[in-house]
Amino acid sequence: MIATTDSQRRWRRAFVIAGAIVAGYALLAPLTSLDVAQSANIPLLADKFWFRIATYIVMFIVMASAWNIIGGITGYAAFGNVAFFGIGAYTTGMLIAKAKWPFLLALPLAPVLAASFAALIGLPLLRLRGHYFAVASLGVGVALGELVQNIDYNGRPVFGGASGLFLPIYAVGHRGLFFFYLMCGAAALAIAVTWWVLRSRFGYGLIAIRENEEAAAVLGVNTTAYKVAAFALAAALTGLAGGIFSQWNVFINQDNAFPIEYNVQMILMALLGGTGTVFGPAAGALLLQLLIQFLGGSLPISLDIPFVSSEARPIIAQVILGLLLIVVVVFVPRGAIDFFGGRTRLSLAYLRRSLRETSL
Amino acid sequence: MDAFVQLVILGLLAGGVYVAVGVGFGLVWGVLNIVNLAHGALVVVGGYITWQLFTGFGLDPFLTLPLDAAALFILGYALQRGVINRIIRAPLLFTFLLTFGVNLVIVNILLLIFGSDFRSVTPAYSGQGLELGSVVIPYVRLASLGAAILLAAGLAFLLNRTRIGLAIHAISADRDAAQLVGIDLRHAYAVTYGLGAACAGIAGGLIAMIQAITPTAGEPYTLQAFVVVILGGLGRVSATVVGGLAFGLVEAFGQSIPGSGSVFANAIAFGLMVLVLVTRPQGLMGRLH
Repeated sequence: MIATTDSQRRWRRAFVIAGAIVAGYALLAPLTSLDVAQSANIPLLADKFWFRIATYIVMFIVMASAWNIIGGITGYAAFGNVAFFGIGAYTTGMLIAKAKWPFLLALPLAPVLAASFAALIGLPLLRLRGHYFAVASLGVGVALGELVQNIDYNGRPVFGGASGLFLPIYAVGHRGLFFFYLMCGAAALAIAVTWWVLRSRFGYGLIAIRENEEAAAVLGVNTTAYKVAAFALAAALTGLAGGIFSQWNVFINQDNAFPIEYNVQMILMALLGGTGTVFGPAAGALLLQLLIQFLGGSLPISLDIPFVSSEARPIIAQVILGLLLIVVVVFVPRGAIDFFGGRTRLSLAYLRRSLRETSL
Repeated sequence: MDAFVQLVILGLLAGGVYVAVGVGFGLVWGVLNIVNLAHGALVVVGGYITWQLFTGFGLDPFLTLPLDAAALFILGYALQRGVINRIIRAPLLFTFLLTFGVNLVIVNILLLIFGSDFRSVTPAYSGQGLELGSVVIPYVRLASLGAAILLAAGLAFLLNRTRIGLAIHAISADRDAAQLVGIDLRHAYAVTYGLGAACAGIAGGLIAMIQAITPTAGEPYTLQAFVVVILGGLGRVSATVVGGLAFGLVEAFGQSIPGSGSVFANAIAFGLMVLVLVTRPQGLMGRLH
């Protein structure tokens, strides 16, 4: 650990205060949409649109924080966590749509099923390392989405098939508000779990595995049990987000419950914010998701990109995202949180140094 | 029995494409230790070059293959030299993300240029085939299997019998020692990636003749290439050939199971891959280090 200087401490304090203000505004602004607030003439700070985007952002905070447990703290490059999101979404979805369970009873089963599945596939998969684990987990995600869409029983799709699964709308006042706060609860849980892991004996074991798995085993860490537990924990949190998503979105299919690009997005968010930290993935999720929404033109503050027609805009947005991914990976391999946290200052010398460290 | 023979033939023909897709991917992975998530996108670029030359200039699609290879070699060389070389010492996650970013950029530029319509290359002889009893083997598929085997043989020759091939072997064995004996690492890395991309380009040309292509069609090819390379074993071209043909066979037989159909192609492929990884991590043909 490097000794903290005064300037670093100042930076960090400023960062924490800014984060608290953003979080406070995001948590309180929705309340202005309540009837009580409206009748008291408080200006409306959050409309339906705001809820949708904010809930998406918080959903990614949950997923990026969950990935951080297996990818950042344990050091296993899981590339198929979207499988757990899909399992969560379909567990809750099936229980509500087919078995007519109430939402609040069906939701807790989403993380349970996702974690059980993770433990089951984790036993063989976590024996693999590096690239092998990454792509094997990616394979699980892809294969699962395909199975869910195509499994038939007596000629009828079990999980809704290609046309997807429709859920009854959850009858609750202020639906947008309800799901936003529910997702916030999941995010708080994910961050709290990360915080606990990093301070527990369990977490030290995981870090030991990341740094040197053989050495950890020699020191008496039951590496298999620890790795599988970390994988299942990440799966449970991701599955919870999926379960909330299915009732919130009312409709799920292979494309929105098993989107391959989420795999990359959650990793990029964790990297951007700083892997292995408590708040890093959350900060990264906020930054990247805002950027994606901005480029896609769905934020209220929008910028016209010159010479680009409105049809080509989403495509251009993807190109910019790809270029950004390249730039971040090449120039800021240690995550942007280093700057905000005051550990390093963004300078030409820093960029040059990190480039020299990794290039041929 | 007839059905069995038919399945074997179909499987081997499909395997030809997998060999072509796999060899370049295996080379880049084995030598540079990069899992190239942009591989599928490079395949699709090759397919579009063939399509453009065929529809625009009336060139025979098989004659466009060398042009695919040349264009993709240049693209791959520049990509490695300019971008990927800069993070070669970073943890593996970074090369994953970087090549995914490259994939995103290529796919969306293709979308901007060609749109999302499906394109196919259909020369005059595409409907004809060789009749063997009740089985009809399209000439195009037969020729593409031949081309894929030729490609693998050519690559093996290049790697084992030429100066740059030996340099590639050297950097694969020990990067720092290779530098000590005077190999220009940046150039050798870029050539390796360029060769991988050239193979992808040829694979793309072959695929365009067999099925319709669209800019977003590349992702399955990346995944299939990965499965093929794992199945055969990392490090040798001949192992990838075995892996590709084996994968084609498994897929053909898997799809013939009643009720499964082609919809489970990915699930079968990945089930197989996980099985191989867990039981025989060195692959069917691989040797343990």
